[in-house]
Amino acid sequence: MATGNITSAIDSLSAAIHCNIIPQHEYLLQGSILDSQVEHLLHRLKGLCDNVDAGPEPFHDHEVCFSLRAPNQATPTLLLRVRKANDVDAPYQLRYIGQQEVGDRTRPTLVRNSLDIACTSTVVEYLQELGCRIDFEYTNRGYMFRKGRMKITVSKIFKMGGIPTKPGETYTEAISQSYLVELSVLAPTGQDGIGKDMMMFAEQLKPLVQLEKIDYKRLGNIP
Amino acid sequence: MGVTILQPFPNLENKTGPSIIDFLSKRVIALGAQQVGHFLVDCETYTSVPQMSVQPKVVHVLHNSEHPASVFSILETGTKQIALVADLLFDLLILKMTPAYTSKKQTKIESKGPRFELGDFVIKLGIVSMSQTFKGVMVEVEYRPCLIPSMCWDLIREFMQGFMGSHVTNIIPPYFTTPSMMAPNQNKQNDIYQPIDTVQQYLEHFSNYRKLSNPPIMGMRN
Repeated sequence: MATGNITSAIDSLSAAIHCNIIPQHEYLLQGSILDSQVEHLLHRLKGLCDNVDAGPEPFHDHEVCFSLRAPNQATPTLLLRVRKANDVDAPYQLRYIGQQEVGDRTRPTLVRNSLDIACTSTVVEYLQELGCRIDFEYTNRGYMFRKGRMKITVSKIFKMGGIPTKPGETYTEAISQSYLVELSVLAPTGQDGIGKDMMMFAEQLKPLVQLEKIDYKRLGNIP
Repeated sequence: MGVTILQPFPNLENKTGPSIIDFLSKRVIALGAQQVGHFLVDCETYTSVPQMSVQPKVVHVLHNSEHPASVFSILETGTKQIALVADLLFDLLILKMTPAYTSKKQTKIESKGPRFELGDFVIKLGIVSMSQTFKGVMVEVEYRPCLIPSMCWDLIREFMQGFMGSHVTNIIPPYFTTPSMMAPNQNKQNDIYQPIDTVQQYLEHFSNYRKLSNPPIMGMRN
């Protein structure tokens, strides 16, 4: 009677892994559109996506990218990102993104390992003390749309820098003259069918934006 | 969610874990408490590999069945302590840190046992074991309507003394009076109580149990 049956968190997690219900793969397509044309794309997305009534959901995030390097290793062991919403009060998001899968070339989207973890604001200090190094940071401002389980973001990336004039305000500078467009789905292992749906959706955004599977290895040594 | 006080119950007569739990359960039931399920708090500790830093850093990862969707992690750098509360998937992330942080499986420690409710109180009687070896018994009492420890300590103390006798001191546990490592200017007993405070009390006691080289009695019977 003293020790009853209670499953430990690790056991429940292994059961969840076993049942394949943990969304740990990200399917991703990316593209970009010039600032002058972005309104057209937003109109098109308003017509195509689910959250039409409420209008597009604005977001303004600050993202910091960390790397944990094991001793005597040139390549980082672990790449982590911490994302904080500047516009709403929400938990910090800790994100792990793995290497892209070298799969079949005909696969319609990029597939990579991904873990999204909500956490407390102590995460930045925690990671730094853990031995992680800040590689770079930026702010990302734009709109988010949904279509079924697909997430579409149209956002502009700004550099961090300068001295903030008011608390909570940061001086930022746009990194380019265009908006980044991302179409992504988080799904458990083995749901490759989603790639086809994403391709079909991407077709509907042509010729405004060309969403593609970006091969990061070809971009050189960008962390 | 209210204030929780954690108290080790001394094993003076060299009894087995289950028999102490039986003894305390009977007393709690006599007071009118009802058993509502079981509870489990576990802790696993990872240490940085020597090449990572001069002073080893220690990462504790704890789970509490009272907060089943969260993982609590406490990082000790030697000079300070940083607590992080995250979603359950954090466990998968920890596994990815293995080249830099490794765990000793034999130090995995847990407290597990029946959970009782009596009006505004929740009582948990836990057997502490480290890799199947019995280490002791810990009693957790939570008073749910209050969030400030100093305001309900006397009430909790009186209640605890009611079934544990003089093993409960009249002074609030040191955890609440020593300046917190995380916020040195704050006194924990007048602060709003948070789930991480329960976890930190467990970690303190778990660390003490780990230091005990000799377990108080022979192996635990399951």
